[in-house]
Amino acid sequence: METLRQETDEAGPSIGSENPDERIAARRLRIAARNEAKKRQELGSNSQEDTEIKEVRMSQKKVEQSEKRMAKLQADGTELVTNILVAADFRESKRRAEMEEARRLRIEKLENEAKSSLEKFEEITQKWTVAKAKQIPQDLRDALISQQILCGQLLEDKNKVIIELQQELKASDDRYVKDLKKHTEEVDLMIERLQEQIISLKKSYREELDLVESTFDEERRTLLADNRMKWEQQRQRQSDRELELLLQRMQQVEEHELQLQRLRLDNTKECNTIKAKLEMDVQILEQQLQKMKATCQLNQEKLEYNFQVLKKRDEENIITKSQQKRKITRMQDILNNLKTKCSNQEKQSREENQSLTDDYKRIMQQYKDMQRKMRHFAAVDAKRLEDVWLMNEAEAKALVRQALEIDRLIHEQQLGLAWTPPPLTVMEQPGPVQPRNRIQPSARQAAAQALVRREAPGEERELEEQTDGNTVEVPGGPESTGGRMDQKTVKRLLELLCDEMGFLIESKLLKLLSPLEKDERSLIKLDSIFSALAIESEEDVYKMADFFMKYKFQQKDQAEQHSSVSNQGETAEQKDSDLIHPNDVLRALRTFTALYCKPRDISSRQLSGIPELEGRDDSEDGACWESLATVVPEPKLKVWSTLEAALEKYHFVLTERSKLVNETQHLKQQNSELRMLLHQYLNSKVNTELAIPPTQVMKLDPE
Amino acid sequence: CSFMNLTKYPARINRQTSTFNSAADPRKMRRIIAEDPEWSLAVVPLLANLCLQNIVKNFKEKPIFDELLPGHKAFVLEKLSTSLSLSVTANLISDEAYWKRCCESRWGLSDVSEYGHSWKRMLFERHLENIIELFIPDVTDPKSVLDVVPQCRNYVRRLKISQLLPPIREPPKFEEDDSSDSASDMGHEGPSMDHFDFSILLDKLTNLEELQLVYGVKGCGMNFEWNLFEFTFRDCESLAKALKSCKSLKVLRIQQSKVDDDKCRVLVSSLLDHPSLLELDLSHNLIGDRGARAIGKLLGRSHLKRLAIYNNQIRGPGAQALSHALAKNPSLVALNLRLNRLADEGGQAVAQALLKNQNLVSLHLGANEMTEPTATAMANALVHNSTLRNLSLACNRLGVDGGKVLEEGMSHNSSLVECDIRLTDMSLENEYCIGQILRTNQSRACRRQTQDTGATQ
Repeated sequence: METLRQETDEAGPSIGSENPDERIAARRLRIAARNEAKKRQELGSNSQEDTEIKEVRMSQKKVEQSEKRMAKLQADGTELVTNILVAADFRESKRRAEMEEARRLRIEKLENEAKSSLEKFEEITQKWTVAKAKQIPQDLRDALISQQILCGQLLEDKNKVIIELQQELKASDDRYVKDLKKHTEEVDLMIERLQEQIISLKKSYREELDLVESTFDEERRTLLADNRMKWEQQRQRQSDRELELLLQRMQQVEEHELQLQRLRLDNTKECNTIKAKLEMDVQILEQQLQKMKATCQLNQEKLEYNFQVLKKRDEENIITKSQQKRKITRMQDILNNLKTKCSNQEKQSREENQSLTDDYKRIMQQYKDMQRKMRHFAAVDAKRLEDVWLMNEAEAKALVRQALEIDRLIHEQQLGLAWTPPPLTVMEQPGPVQPRNRIQPSARQAAAQALVRREAPGEERELEEQTDGNTVEVPGGPESTGGRMDQKTVKRLLELLCDEMGFLIESKLLKLLSPLEKDERSLIKLDSIFSALAIESEEDVYKMADFFMKYKFQQKDQAEQHSSVSNQGETAEQKDSDLIHPNDVLRALRTFTALYCKPRDISSRQLSGIPELEGRDDSEDGACWESLATVVPEPKLKVWSTLEAALEKYHFVLTERSKLVNETQHLKQQNSELRMLLHQYLNSKVNTELAIPPTQVMKLDPE
Repeated sequence: CSFMNLTKYPARINRQTSTFNSAADPRKMRRIIAEDPEWSLAVVPLLANLCLQNIVKNFKEKPIFDELLPGHKAFVLEKLSTSLSLSVTANLISDEAYWKRCCESRWGLSDVSEYGHSWKRMLFERHLENIIELFIPDVTDPKSVLDVVPQCRNYVRRLKISQLLPPIREPPKFEEDDSSDSASDMGHEGPSMDHFDFSILLDKLTNLEELQLVYGVKGCGMNFEWNLFEFTFRDCESLAKALKSCKSLKVLRIQQSKVDDDKCRVLVSSLLDHPSLLELDLSHNLIGDRGARAIGKLLGRSHLKRLAIYNNQIRGPGAQALSHALAKNPSLVALNLRLNRLADEGGQAVAQALLKNQNLVSLHLGANEMTEPTATAMANALVHNSTLRNLSLACNRLGVDGGKVLEEGMSHNSSLVECDIRLTDMSLENEYCIGQILRTNQSRACRRQTQDTGATQ
């Protein structure tokens, strides 16, 4: 079995590997051929491609041939080797068949034997029962002997079988040994064959390799020869061409040499002339050089001197620079100090400012308070004044009345004259002079408003003005505007204003005004214009008109000036010409507002809240009181003084008289009293008791 | 500088270092030692060298390797002893040169190409194989095997166990007859296992791909006893369990181990639906028809590509079961049924299966007692099948008529490249004709191949 396995193991790979080996060999050869072909391709030129291909084909054929041969050789060799294996297999299978057959026969034989022996055994056992029945010893012995013989036969049979089997075993042992020997022989044979085959294969491979190589060599040689020939041809051609070129070149060289010679000659000539010229130049230049040297020397000295000077200056500069630097540092210090100071100052001033603003605020507050107080006190004072006034007036009036009454009494009683009362205008005034003055500005404001109204109605109002304007108005409003112009000019002026100053009126207002009458419209327009110009009072209006007139006069020639104020009766045209030109209105108005409006504005603002304290003057008061004082005239006073003197005398007499009367009366009274006292004394009880009654003494009295 | 020298001339250094102590005295006498590239006039060696030498000396106690510079590593590897225990070096050193030295010191010259050109793999595989082959049940401690596992787990891909030792038993028990002692002693209280138990090992080797087992003793010589070649049922069960746990296994070979039908069924049942098994080899065993039926079932439930069950005792019914599976199988490429007893019944069944199968490339039916009817069936199959390339019908008595029929069948076939018809009793004329046809097929296949390669190139 061992050997069998070895055989199979050794034979196994050869069967399997037969093909692959072949394949590998074939591939190797093919690759070699290809490499060769590639080399040749690289070497050879294109013109020889055809022959090359042919040659390659030749070599390929050769390679294929050798491949085939080798494959055949290998196959033969493997067959030779595997023959042993196959033979062994065959023998083994044959042996197995034989063994099986033998075993079958043996088993049959054994079975037969077993059957016969069983029969025999049964016969013996039967005979045992028969023998048991036998009584006679001889019979028994005979039976026993026969039994013994039978048993012996049985045993013999068995022994025979055993011997046969043992013989068979021995035979098979022998055969095993023989088989083993044969196997070893076969193995040896196989190894021998393998070695042989290896050797032969090696040899044939080498031969084939040589052959293939020789073919390749030949191919290569032919190729080389071809290529060499070609190479030679090419080289020949090349050398011919080179020779030709060389000749050409030599010719050219000769030509060039000639040319060179010519050029050289020309050049030398030229060179000589140039040389001469250049030498001349050199001389001139040398002279120049000398000059230059001299100047150079001079310059050098100058420069040295300059250099020295500059050096000095430089030193000075350095010193000044250092000074400057020091100064700078100092300045820097100062600057820093100043900066710090400045910052301090700033801080301080800021604080101061802060405190001042605070103060200001506080003072403003105080001022306001003061104003408020002042207003309050003014009101109170006014009130008090009025009260005091009224009181004093009442007192004065009472006194006057008393005086008048007394006068009347004097006249009627003392003088016996008819008494006529003096004109008592003063007495009729109800309040103090001041209240009457205070009413006046309100009336003026109303008049300012009325002025606008007055403007609208037009002529009749104007007429009214003209008629009683001087009586009524003069004492009231126009004290300040002394020489005021007449109403007509004012009206014209206002109309002019109304037309020219349209831009001061709001466009909305204009729209609203459109349905109204002309006069009404102009009135409202004027109203708005005045409000825009901050003209509030009538006085302002007149002031403005006055200003306009003046302005016009300024504008116009002095010669043309004539009393426009007085000669108002002249034609309207002249008035128109007298009036300011419409184009100048705006300018005039601007100057007017610039001049008047602002200061007045402020003052009026300030005053508007407070009742006009300053507006009140004391001049009238004195007159008023004077009038009160002078109710009784001077002659009457003289009368009174004389009368007084007379009356004084009369009075004196009367007083004397009354005194005397009184004295008498007194004395009379004293008398009566004394009388009463005496009476009392006399009538008293004490008197009785007294040793001497007074009555006795007093008896004299009644006497 | 000396380091560079070290890496350049490793062989010489080895020699030099080994002879250093012995040649110390005469060397001292000389002033210049020209033949030693390591030698330098400086009397004091470099500190680095001293350190490295110390590291080498104490490598067993203190393996310092990964922290070293590349040059120093090379130095250490050169000097490291090959007798260091594997537990130290296994996962630390990956340098092939060191492992080559180890292998060569253990086994002398050896072919590394079998082990994927990895000396380390070779060392660990052979190490483990040695341990298992010398494992004596109940005598050797199973820990001695398991201790090696953590070191060699990552490197072992194939285990070729050429022998498994049985437990030591008292000789008198086995004096009885040879053929039928396998089952009789099983009831007796014996050792805890009959051979090495793979179930403790296989599930730990996560990279194992190939397993080859022989339940037998190598070179027993005159101490031959039948029980040395015994594959018991217990072994079979433990092996089945182990195989089931080893998911990475691709190739399994259990040869010359007296695997009979029952054991075959047990093994196959463990291999059903195995995720990676590609090749199964149960040759030189005692598998009969029932075992063949089990294998047929396995063919239906696995991705097997190669199946070798030659030199068994499969007969007609078993072959029928196999060919039934073969007819439907989409993966099998090679089938070897050499030295069985299929006879005509089995041969015809296989030929029938070839009519349907479209992927079998190689089929070996040598020495199967087949005769003319098989030849006619096979001829018919050859006409229709175009995938089969290798066919062996050697050592079957096909006879002259069979040869004729086969020649006729071959004349219609263009795919078969090899057909072994030696010792089949057919006429030389037929053999020659068949040979001619094969040659044309070969050249055609060769041409196709060159075309293919040309196309790919």
